[in-house]
Amino acid sequence: MIRNIKNLIAGSTIRNIHKKLSFGLIVLTLGGTGSSKNINVDPILIVQFKAYVHGEPLQLNKKYQNPFGETYEINRFRFYAGRIAPVYSDTTFKSAYSSGYHLIDFSDSSSTLIRLTVKAGAFNGIKFLVGVDSVDQVSGAQSGDLDPAKGMFWTWNSGYLTFKLEGYSPLSKEPAHMMAYHIGGYRHTYNTVWNVKLYSTNDVSFVVSNNNKVQVEIGIDLDYFFDGTTPLRIKESPSCTTTGEMARKLSGNFIGAFTELLITSRP
Amino acid sequence: MKSFWIIIIIGFFCITWIMTPFPFQVPRGFPPPVYDFKNNHRSREGFELGRKLFYDGKLSKDGNFPCSSCHQQFAAFATYEHRLSHGFNNQFSFRNAPGLFNLAWEKELNWDGGINQIEVQPLAPLLDPHEMAENLGQITIKLKKDKSYPFLFNKVFGSPEINSQRILKALAQFTASLVSSNAKYDRMKRGEVRYNNYEQKGYQIFQQKCARCHQEPLFTDFSYRNTGMEIDSTLNDIGRMRITGKKEDSLKFRVPSLRNVFLTFPYGHDGRFPTISDVLDHYNTGVVQSVALDSGLKKGMPISSDDRFYLIYFLETLTDSSFITNPLYSDPAAGVMGTAPVDIHR
Repeated sequence: MIRNIKNLIAGSTIRNIHKKLSFGLIVLTLGGTGSSKNINVDPILIVQFKAYVHGEPLQLNKKYQNPFGETYEINRFRFYAGRIAPVYSDTTFKSAYSSGYHLIDFSDSSSTLIRLTVKAGAFNGIKFLVGVDSVDQVSGAQSGDLDPAKGMFWTWNSGYLTFKLEGYSPLSKEPAHMMAYHIGGYRHTYNTVWNVKLYSTNDVSFVVSNNNKVQVEIGIDLDYFFDGTTPLRIKESPSCTTTGEMARKLSGNFIGAFTELLITSRP
Repeated sequence: MKSFWIIIIIGFFCITWIMTPFPFQVPRGFPPPVYDFKNNHRSREGFELGRKLFYDGKLSKDGNFPCSSCHQQFAAFATYEHRLSHGFNNQFSFRNAPGLFNLAWEKELNWDGGINQIEVQPLAPLLDPHEMAENLGQITIKLKKDKSYPFLFNKVFGSPEINSQRILKALAQFTASLVSSNAKYDRMKRGEVRYNNYEQKGYQIFQQKCARCHQEPLFTDFSYRNTGMEIDSTLNDIGRMRITGKKEDSLKFRVPSLRNVFLTFPYGHDGRFPTISDVLDHYNTGVVQSVALDSGLKKGMPISSDDRFYLIYFLETLTDSSFITNPLYSDPAAGVMGTAPVDIHR
């Protein structure tokens, strides 16, 4: 009898809690749906970086030929993209939000996709920084994508690399035929950090309103990295791993490889 | 009313739990520091965590090389009597380990100024295969496994998470706090003691011959200069040019502070000068002419034997014995609780 009462009490308490919980859930759900109906949510911009060689998506560890007929393969390709924001058609319209830094690593496809909240409006391009700005270079110990453990930080000459492109080429005279372009430097003369502004190549402008999302693709054509303003022949320059004139020039080539901005999906 | 008291109690615990005030005191006569702890709030707990890390071999690959293995307190945190320091697997470091003090005033670090902020300085020795030879992932794993670290990181940063940023910020709390400002020179400046005639004469010679680069009160102007030291063909150290890539920076090295100079021998970026006399000999007769040679040395810098006699008396007054014996900076594992000597940093 006593046990029954105990069970009863226990049971009722549990039921009560259950009731309270479900009541709470209902309130929450109502609140949730209510808010999404009444409150406008800023649109979402998804930016995907894609690398191409001869018009085909880059595959790591696959043999390619550069525009000078030199065979090579890439096994590591990373770069920093920061402060990504839309370029609005109305030039007086200032973007309210811009992102921090993202390490785009082509061995990890999830890192190539960046989700941002932006202000609604009509925009015809995307702007971003390739590399890490000098102010952020001298800000001490950082975390997240700027954690030095990500292998993009020079310890003896502090600073984040702008990009790292590594692989092999039979034409390289380096040990094990390594090809290594570790491009960095943020100080004035040998700055490798660039502001990039790309305009949409398949649409003049696109309007994004609240509660919507739009996805764009930024194409990097690696053929232009070799056949750029400064022709890069692997046989002559299989590596560049310090700041200087060469790094500065190769960063220019790299920026030239950002060729396309496609709107891949929109409301 | 009840909630009011709960908030008061929680608030009280937050205050007592998070911070033990530990203000950074700028010694009288020193300029404002470059590193001001603005983004790395200085607390006693943070300082103590940094100190523990500084003395912990876990930060090196084989456990044998804590920061303190090359930066010894009794040598003003340089490596005592070593041209180059010892590192992992019987290797030598690339350069002579400098003393660590008054680092909060340095806008760039290292002999070539390659390191742009004190928080990222430890990355160089930590990851150098000749020095501590470790990687950040391994260090984090080792510290997480340790019984005390998660608790200590929680105390300092509010959660037990351990990552490179927190390790580096804690280390900077310690290293930027190493202030040496209580040598006889400082006490003389504060009017507490007087120089004897030898020291006073040496001070005058110092002001004439050395102070252009070794500016008071930090005894360096933080510039990079080519002092006519021939390149060592086994090291091929081109100095500042390694960072800037500019020919005019060839063989330029940072002007080191002369504070605690009697403790930080041997001298020079590669420790080639065993004694102060050797350094003075170099200035007197050993300067090698080159395009990038410092303008002040082009006509040579004669130092007579009289000058030398008095200069050495003066340089001895730059030794800060309270700094090298301050228990606040010593190995916490030695069991000494840190209490600063009473007369320090006024």
